[in-house]
Amino acid sequence: MSAKILIIDDEPDVVTYMVAVLKSNGFTPSSTTDPNLGLKMAAEVRPDLICLDIMMPEKSGISIYTKLKKDRLLGSIPVLIVSGVSRQGEFDFRSFVSDTSIPPPEGYLEKPIVIDQYLQLIRDLTSTNLSLKRGKATDA
Amino acid sequence: MPDMSKKNPTSRESWIRNRMFHKVPFNVAVIDRDYNIVDANERFAEHFGEWRGKKCYAAYKKLKEPCAQCNSLKVFEDGKTRVIDEVGIDLHGRQTHYVVHIAPLRRAPDDPIEYVLEMSSEVTETKRWQQEYQILFDRVPCYITVIDENYRIVRANESFRENFGDVIGQNCYKVYKRRNTKCPHCPAARTFKNGGVYNSTQHGIDKKGQDITYRVTTSPLTRGGEKVAHVIEISTDLTDIKKLEQDVIEAERLGAVGQTVAGLAHSIKNILMGLEGGKYIVSVGLQKDDKEMINQGWEMLERNFDKTTTLVKDFLSFSKGRLPELQMVNPNDLAREIVDLYRDTCAQSGIKLTADLVPTIKKAPLDPDGIHTCLTNLVSNAIDACQMGEQKGTEVMIRVREVRGKLVFEVADNGSGIDYEIKQKIFTTFFTTKGGMGTGLGLLTTRKIVQEHGGKIIVESKKGQGARFRMEFPRSRLLTLFENAGNHENKN
Repeated sequence: MSAKILIIDDEPDVVTYMVAVLKSNGFTPSSTTDPNLGLKMAAEVRPDLICLDIMMPEKSGISIYTKLKKDRLLGSIPVLIVSGVSRQGEFDFRSFVSDTSIPPPEGYLEKPIVIDQYLQLIRDLTSTNLSLKRGKATDA
Repeated sequence: MPDMSKKNPTSRESWIRNRMFHKVPFNVAVIDRDYNIVDANERFAEHFGEWRGKKCYAAYKKLKEPCAQCNSLKVFEDGKTRVIDEVGIDLHGRQTHYVVHIAPLRRAPDDPIEYVLEMSSEVTETKRWQQEYQILFDRVPCYITVIDENYRIVRANESFRENFGDVIGQNCYKVYKRRNTKCPHCPAARTFKNGGVYNSTQHGIDKKGQDITYRVTTSPLTRGGEKVAHVIEISTDLTDIKKLEQDVIEAERLGAVGQTVAGLAHSIKNILMGLEGGKYIVSVGLQKDDKEMINQGWEMLERNFDKTTTLVKDFLSFSKGRLPELQMVNPNDLAREIVDLYRDTCAQSGIKLTADLVPTIKKAPLDPDGIHTCLTNLVSNAIDACQMGEQKGTEVMIRVREVRGKLVFEVADNGSGIDYEIKQKIFTTFFTTKGGMGTGLGLLTTRKIVQEHGGKIIVESKKGQGARFRMEFPRSRLLTLFENAGNHENKN
């Protein structure tokens, strides 16, 4: 079964692009450009990975991230931040989220993405998560 | 000792004078023209040791030859009494300071001077204090001058002299500011007038012609109740501090430029991503011969080229500035529009959104689109702040008020609040997780629009205690802007 990826980004073109890339490479993407629906969709889809933008109008990506990681059921889903905020200098996770009980995101990619790098990161993160899921299933 | 005073008046007088000579609180010595000490009191002996058969310079200073500048000789020459400062060596070899009073001794007024009388009083301790005070006066890291009623400098400390030159006798305004007349709002003038202490920040020119900024305090130099005859001016040089402040402002300005560029880069990255996406989809469409994909990709390319144009225009307009397009509008209507716009968003997130309006508020000349943008930015930030925290009962309130001739729009929330450091940067940075304007200019744009209206924006917030953004527009400035644009209030 192919990994399910949820994309939350307010830029429709970014979403279209990532969906096209993921579909062409054997993943099952779902998406929303409405950040207010992000958490609801995550609960419905139960994806193996969430690609999240952190700079969106109306609802902050950080706020979605914080709620995701605090959620008992959704907290273990790895999150790949895909953002225009450059990692060097500007994006300091702890300056956004000082609550140390919330872990930093599993992955970070700066826009515009490089497809090979994007896919590799998604494979790495989903394989880890899938093997963890399988492990949990075996334990149970 | 037998009591002679009652038996023989002459003896009594002689006895009293003898005791007086020995007991006066001075060292008394009588010197002849050859420097010989011919008589000295007990106190002198206690201080300088045995004097009999000694020359004055040997007794006073333990010298073997007369002093280079002998003041007693001068008294022998001109018969004038002198009071001088002297340094000697006492019985124990310690250096001591004296004030010496030298007077000629004649048998009759027209007789030649036979001796001089030297009365010295030790002032070593006083001298030490004086020296310490002088050092303190000279070296304190501020300028001290004493001026008289004609504004002439009668004393100046070393720090002052180093920076302004030797200026005793010159007018303070000439020295400090190179003026020929008294300065307006002179704090010293007020001190002369009523004896009060006054502070003032002033700009002057030092002896090298450099501009200086200083904070001056003027105090009366007088004893209680007396008319102020002198004023002491103590000035602290703020030039370096002012320069540092300027440097900080410049650094912040450059920082703001950097952050503007970062914000621009962020927007460009999103557009690039759209262009990359369009290219990718066209490419996949061509490979699969899928016309629909090709169209979809092509539309993405077109859209993102358009976005580039819009972004460039936005930034150019932002950097150029513009005059607001003022219309007479009801400020309450602008607030109501925003409540309508965000009602659903707030309801979904459990945030109470209210407008607190004064129904009688007068119309004002405002750029409705500009104010709409400002309120949108502030309200979307406030909503975000409410969502950041986990607290229940969050609330966003838009208030419109009239406060002392100012039209005030206020957006308050009880969300996560802003800590001090962020507050300092809030109008220049792009670190907010909000991108309300799409181009990431948020509060920077809001401030710009407010300033274009002649107003200012103030933020009050503490982390965890919500935030209150207040836009204040003085009615008088709005009206001036409106009239300058060729409008009159009664036309609308």
